[in-house]
Amino acid sequence: MRKSVNRPPTPDAGENQEKEPSVREIVNIKLIESGEKERLMELLRERLIECGWKDEMKALCRAFVKKKGRNNVTVDDLIHVITPKGRASIPDSIKAELLQRIRTFLVSAAL
Amino acid sequence: MSVPNEDNMTSHSQLSSHFLGDLLDSIIVDVASECHRIARLGLDRNLEEEEEELRLSAQARVRVADPSNSGEANSKYVVDIFGQTHPPVANEIFECMNCGRSIMAGRFAPHLEKCMGKGRKARPKATRSSTAAQNRYSRGSPVSTYSAYSNSTSTNRLSNGTSGAAGEEYSNGTFPEP
Repeated sequence: MRKSVNRPPTPDAGENQEKEPSVREIVNIKLIESGEKERLMELLRERLIECGWKDEMKALCRAFVKKKGRNNVTVDDLIHVITPKGRASIPDSIKAELLQRIRTFLVSAAL
Repeated sequence: MSVPNEDNMTSHSQLSSHFLGDLLDSIIVDVASECHRIARLGLDRNLEEEEEELRLSAQARVRVADPSNSGEANSKYVVDIFGQTHPPVANEIFECMNCGRSIMAGRFAPHLEKCMGKGRKARPKATRSSTAAQNRYSRGSPVSTYSAYSNSTSTNRLSNGTSGAAGEEYSNGTFPEP
């Protein structure tokens, strides 16, 4: 018999209809619930301000705004301006410090 | 879940990198949002000042290029880049170092011509130059005479010192403040 409509096969009633939460999602939930994500974010923010990273990003934004005109700028524009340079210019020491803390958390949470 | 240590390491490293990237992205969005707010609200003073200067210089250029602005009749009302107007003839008053008369700055050159002797009625004044010199040194504080004329502190700038050079050298004279 021809199928009149293209449709994916109906899952069995017994099968688990929800996708099992991935490891990432579990870790994320644990990070948030324990408050560690917030602490990590504040730590990273502080370190990036101290090393002048934030000022560099703000300077990039200011240059872009001057070029495009301050009323023509969207948040999206600025995110695209900052992201490549921002991800690349984070100092290694800060990266290492944060990675270490996250790893410690993962170990302590027995993941 | 029991996983051999090495796998733990790599998956932990991967996870850590993933979450670091996550945190970084959030912070980037925050910074972008902050800069966007500053830009839209015009809180970045430097940017504003530059825009202001650009606008003013464009205005000034227009005014300069505008033919109806130049010309003797209107020159009173021309505004310079600092927003000041200048009268067509400089009207600061000071003392001529040769004859001791109070002279209007805009009339100083012609006055000097006659005063210092180029000919034509000027020569006879030369005999009075010694009297003029005496007058210069004994001049006390003619406050009353000058306060009537001076109307701004810039008079001091133009007031000539006691040098003999005809207006070429300026040194702060001994005039009292008006």
